[in-house]
Formats: sequence, C-alpha cells, structure tokens
Amino acid sequence: MQTHARAPVSRRRFLALSAAGAAAGTASLGGCALQVSTGVGGSGETVTMMVKAGDLTPDLVAQAKKETGITIKQVDYDITKLIAMLTSGDPPDLVRGVGAVDAAYFAARDVMQELDTYFAGSSVLRLDDLDPVNDLWRYDGRSQGKGPRYGMAKDFSQDSMFWFDTAAFDKKGVGYPSETEPVTFDEWLDNARRLAQRSRGQTTVFGGSYNGLVKLTLMATMTASAGGSLFSDDFTQVDFTTPEARRALAWYLDYCKAEVGPSPVLPDPNGWDGPTYQAGRMAMSNNGYWMGGLIGTDAKLAQVSRLAPAPVFAGGPRVSACQGGTGLWMPRKAHHKDAAWRVFEWFFGEAPARARATSGWGIPSLKSLRPLMPAKEEYQRRTLKAQENELRHFSVIAVSPYISVDAFESLFNQVATPAMHGAMSVGTLAGQLNSAINKQLKRGKEQVG
Amino acid sequence: MTTHQLSSVADPPGPAADGGRTRSAERPRTTMAARRHRAFYLFTSPWIIGFTLLTIAPMAFALWLSFTTYDGISPHWHLVGLGNYRELAGDPQTWKALGRAGLFAVVSVPLSIIAGLALAVLVNRPIRGRGLFRTLLYLPAVVPPVGAGIAFKNLFDQNSGAVNGVWTSFGFDAIGWLADPYARYVLVMTVLWAAGNVMIISLAGLQDVPRELHEAARLDGASAWRTFRGITVPLLSPVLLFQTVTGVIASVQTIMPMLLAPVPGTSGLTTIPQSDYTYMIHVFSEYFALGRYGYASALLWVLFVLILVATGLIFRFTSGVVFYNVDPEANP
Repeated sequence: MQTHARAPVSRRRFLALSAAGAAAGTASLGGCALQVSTGVGGSGETVTMMVKAGDLTPDLVAQAKKETGITIKQVDYDITKLIAMLTSGDPPDLVRGVGAVDAAYFAARDVMQELDTYFAGSSVLRLDDLDPVNDLWRYDGRSQGKGPRYGMAKDFSQDSMFWFDTAAFDKKGVGYPSETEPVTFDEWLDNARRLAQRSRGQTTVFGGSYNGLVKLTLMATMTASAGGSLFSDDFTQVDFTTPEARRALAWYLDYCKAEVGPSPVLPDPNGWDGPTYQAGRMAMSNNGYWMGGLIGTDAKLAQVSRLAPAPVFAGGPRVSACQGGTGLWMPRKAHHKDAAWRVFEWFFGEAPARARATSGWGIPSLKSLRPLMPAKEEYQRRTLKAQENELRHFSVIAVSPYISVDAFESLFNQVATPAMHGAMSVGTLAGQLNSAINKQLKRGKEQVG
Repeated sequence: MTTHQLSSVADPPGPAADGGRTRSAERPRTTMAARRHRAFYLFTSPWIIGFTLLTIAPMAFALWLSFTTYDGISPHWHLVGLGNYRELAGDPQTWKALGRAGLFAVVSVPLSIIAGLALAVLVNRPIRGRGLFRTLLYLPAVVPPVGAGIAFKNLFDQNSGAVNGVWTSFGFDAIGWLADPYARYVLVMTVLWAAGNVMIISLAGLQDVPRELHEAARLDGASAWRTFRGITVPLLSPVLLFQTVTGVIASVQTIMPMLLAPVPGTSGLTTIPQSDYTYMIHVFSEYFALGRYGYASALLWVLFVLILVATGLIFRFTSGVVFYNVDPEANP
C-alpha cells in the first residue's frame, strides 16, 4: 500500500515521534541546565551557592555584589538536589557542609575540589591564621584531619558542652555545675533526673537534653570520652561491643529511658533545644558556645544562663570535640572556581566573618578574629572565659567516609529504638548495631573503592 | 443538514470536477478526517509529551536503577541484575511494611468512603447554610499535607499538644499519641479529617441520581433507608468504585507518617513508630536516608506491579455489583 503524502500520521508513528521528541526535549533541557550559572569572567561573574536560608541573607548577597563585584545566586540546601546537580555535571560553585561528617564522605567520592593551591595564594585566609577546627575539612584519602583541605568552617563550637539555666537549678535546689571543671556523665544524668518536672504523664520541664549534633558524632565522641574508638583503624567497621563503646551506648540508653530530655522516643516538637530552653522548659541543653547567639538576644535568659564544660566518664580522658564545623566546600566540577574562591575568601575572612565573630553565634574559624568575640557584658565575659578554658581540650574526632551521616543516624535510630524503650539489653543492641551499620559501611567501601 | 450534505462536505470534489486544473489537483485538499486526526494529535500531544518526559522516562530510569547499586554519588556502582529484587524478597522489613500499608488501606479506605458519603448525604439535604457547611467540610481537603502534618503533630504532642491538654483536664494521664500503639489511630484520623475530598465526589454523584426515582420509591412507601440502599447506593456504585480504586492507590502511597515523624528530617524516618512504618516510608528511608537508589527503585517497581494487580482484582470482584447507566465497554 502506498502512503499518501498528506495522509494522517498513524497513532503508532505518532507515539514513536513523541518519544523521539521527548528524548530530544530531555537532551535540550539538560543543555539548558548546564547554562544556568554561566556568567562572564572577572568580577561580573555569577556564583551559585547552595546554602540554608539563614546562612546567606539578601543583605549579604547585596554586600557581596558591592564588595567583590560577584553576583551570588542562592539555591536552598537539599542533599537530593545536590546529588542531582552533581550527577548532571552542573553543581553549585559552593556548597554548605558540616565539616565533621560531610568532608570525608564527599572527599572520598572525589566530588570535592582540593583548595590547597587557593589557600597557598591567599592573603585573606592565611594558613597560619586557620584555627585547628578547619582540619575537620581535611582528608588524605584514608583519614580525616590530615591531607588536602577541601573546605573551611565558618565558625565552630565544642558541641559536647552544655548550657544550664540557673533559675531551674534554684527552683529544684540543685547545685550548679562548675563552669571550668567537668561533671561526669552520671552526675549530669542525676542532675537531669532531679531537674525534670512532670505532671500527669507529661514532661513540663526537661531536666536536660543530651543528643550531640547527630548520633554519629555523639557516639564517636562519647566513645572517645570513655577512652576508646568507635571505628576500626581503617574506618571500614564500627564496634559497639568494646567496653568503651558499650559504656557510651549504655549511658545514652539510660538517658533515653529516664525520659529527662528529648530523644527519638520523647521528641521535642520544637525540633531543637533553642526555643524550649528559651521558654524555661529545659534546665540543661547540650549545645556549645554558638547557642550563646540565641541566648544573647534575650537579656533575661542571658542573666540565668551558664556554659559548662563537656562531661567526662569517671576516670576517662577529657574530650571536647567540635561535632560540626559547618562551612562551605567547592565541587570539583564547579564552573566558576576562581570567582567562587573570591566569594569563599570574602565569606570566611572579610566583612561577613567579622560580623559573625561579633555576634556570638560560634567561635571564629580564624584565630585573628578571636578578639572580636563578644565580651562587653558580664554574662558574655563569663561565657567567654568558660569557652577559652574548654578550648584547651579541643580535639578532632575522625569519622568514617564510608557512611553518610543520615545513614548512620537512620540505622542507629531504627535499631536502638526498642532498647530506648527498655525492650533490649545493651549487649544485644551493640551486636545489632554492629551488624546493621557494618553492612552499610561495607556497601560504602565497595562504592568508594 | 442531511447525511448526504455532510458527506459532500467531508468529501470534496475530485480533480476531474474542474478539468484537472484546480489547485486541489496539484495539492490534495485536507480531508475532514485528516483535520480530525491533526486536531486529535495537537490536543493530546502536550499530555503525551509530558507523560513521556515526566512519567515514562523516570519510570524507565528507575527500572534501570533497580538493577544497580547506584547511590547517586559514589564512583564504583555496578549492575547487580535481579540482586535487589532477590534482596527485597528476603527482607522481612519490606514485607512487614507492605502488610502495614495493606492494613492501613483496608481500614482507612472504607472508613473515609463511608464518612465522605455520610457527609455528602447530609449536605445534600435542603438545610439552611448548606453552602457554608459544604465549604467548611471540604476545607481540610485543600490544606496541603505538610500543613496538616504539622498541625496534627502539634495537636497530638504528648507534652504540649492540645489533645492531651483536654485529656488531662479530665484527670487522665497524658497519652503518647504519636508513639506506638496509638500512632496508627492518629494516622487514620488524618485520613478521616480530609474526608471532604470523598464527600465532594459523592455529592456530585448524589446530584446525578434522578429525583423521580426517589419520588416513585416514596410513593410506593419505601423508607428513607430502603431508598438509600435500593436506589442511591446502586446509582452511586461507579463513584464508589472510583473512590475505592483511587483510595487504595493513595493509601498505600501515603507519606503522612513521614510528616508526623518524631524526629524531623531524612534520618528521622526510622524513628517513625512501627505501626506507621508503611511501605512508602521504607522506600523513602532506603532512598534518602541510606542512599540506596537501586534497592529503593526495585521496591518502587514492586509496589507499582502490586498496585496494578490490586486494581485489577478490585475491578474483577466488583464487576457484578457496579451499576452503569451506560455500558462502559460500549463504543459511543
């Protein structure tokens, strides 16, 4: 049969053409995506930053344009979106990250740009001015804390410390913890039990909150406080059955079972300690110096708040690590590396860094900015003194590059929840955690190679 | 216009009509049928292109992912054939999550249909302020699920929620509504709260029921219940079937437990109480918490096939009880 030149297209042919059109459309959409952050060279360039809303205000974006001539295009931080952008070859030029848990993970997957050459040539971010906390952003292919630099912290805290509300202590007649000498974890929990207020099955005032930044850093840090190491030397395995890890795990389970503070089995609807502590509904909050930024906005709260050292295990070493070190990193495939570095320098070493240092929202990551930390008021001087004393016990606790922070948290919560309800012994839990987390670590090791 | 006239419009004169010298002889004129075809393709092509780009392509990609160990970022992923499918078949968590999703569908779909139908019957009556009631009852259905999730989470929080506030004011101890074993009831309540969606469809169906049938039944002395059972329900059966099918699909795909999760964020997925840890939560957890794109894609494909089978079974088992005014199989 001869096909007429003007005959209507058959449905089958139309569907085939549609599919071809769709494929072409997909290809052209990919092409469009590649052009999103294309700018011109020099100071007129556009740099894409993937950050959270609070990291970069519109004022700062305008300030960056004025001071560097670079336009910042802001993309909200979202790990799924980041992975999609990295996979499509169109990553942001700078990405928010938590040094303690993100640096090794992303560096091991070869998606981060080494910044040593940039640091070496910078007069703003001098190597001798970098606080040791920035070592969280180093990874030598095997271990965190050594090797090339992949990013930098904007500020930091020693996240095992805790704030306490003297009014809550006074109300219950409990003695204040020392601001220079650490309490033991058992003393901390005992205080929390005495400070908690309950009525008809409801906790009206939490005695204390102790959850670390995330479970990965909490468990790694607490195991170090007990004198051990959670990970094997090559970071391919965890071992919760060692006496030190079991001690850490047992304490955290006791904390959850006591229901004195927020935990996966007694969640705080506020999502984090700040608003609850501010409302007078939490006597102790496991947060470092950075929460002073919030406390300083409330004069009444500032008068009754004190910062105390990280607790220790009886007989154990004094460990006070930074569990965060939030900052920025540059993807290896970023399109505007030089312009991104200029923004990086400006963000970490110029006006924004000075503004952060004076705000009290964390310790500056440049030693030269330390004198700017707030010390005008009596409560600020008291807090600063406690913090300076604690800095002598600072350390970097390396975590495995073979497991993401979300995966560890997720598996820990899943396996440990029955134990938090008292339905499983510490020994059984330790074994199950080893099994679940080591399986994920094995997958991660295979993926990284 | 007669049939003959229609034919003459549809079939234009051939080249011989003007001695073979007309324009249509050199270039055949477009027929009505061709124009209809073109119109059909023009009207449907946006949908077909969208469907291909946004449904077929991602599904095909997910199918390919399901044969890999891909995690979105690591360099050394590899093909595992049916490995992910074998793993899920032996994963007790998968089957438990599927069982919970099935149980949730079995409980929530009939409840929401009955509640929606009851509300529709109520607001279909000639009462004062009927429009206001219809609006108020439908309002929850237009609240975005994220907003509803936050509202429910705050309402049912053990320590600061309004529900426990009322509960304890009667002298009872507070209840952990968002933990096991109560979390499942809160989840069902979120479905019933949004029954306005079902109500509005049932209401449209009720208004299509011929009034004279009700009048005839009343003249014959039938009670209101008998009329409802013998006339309203059979005539509404296609609507109820539609609601059953879409309800089952929506309920097994619900992400509401994620919005009620005790710990916010991706890693909080596993803190969802066991009774609310349904299949989609398992999928989300594998995708975004553990980064197992391949395994999670296999889970999704299994769910897709199971939904197809469930839908087929619903159609099969209801074929004898659904009443159509027109034969659904007949060509118009």
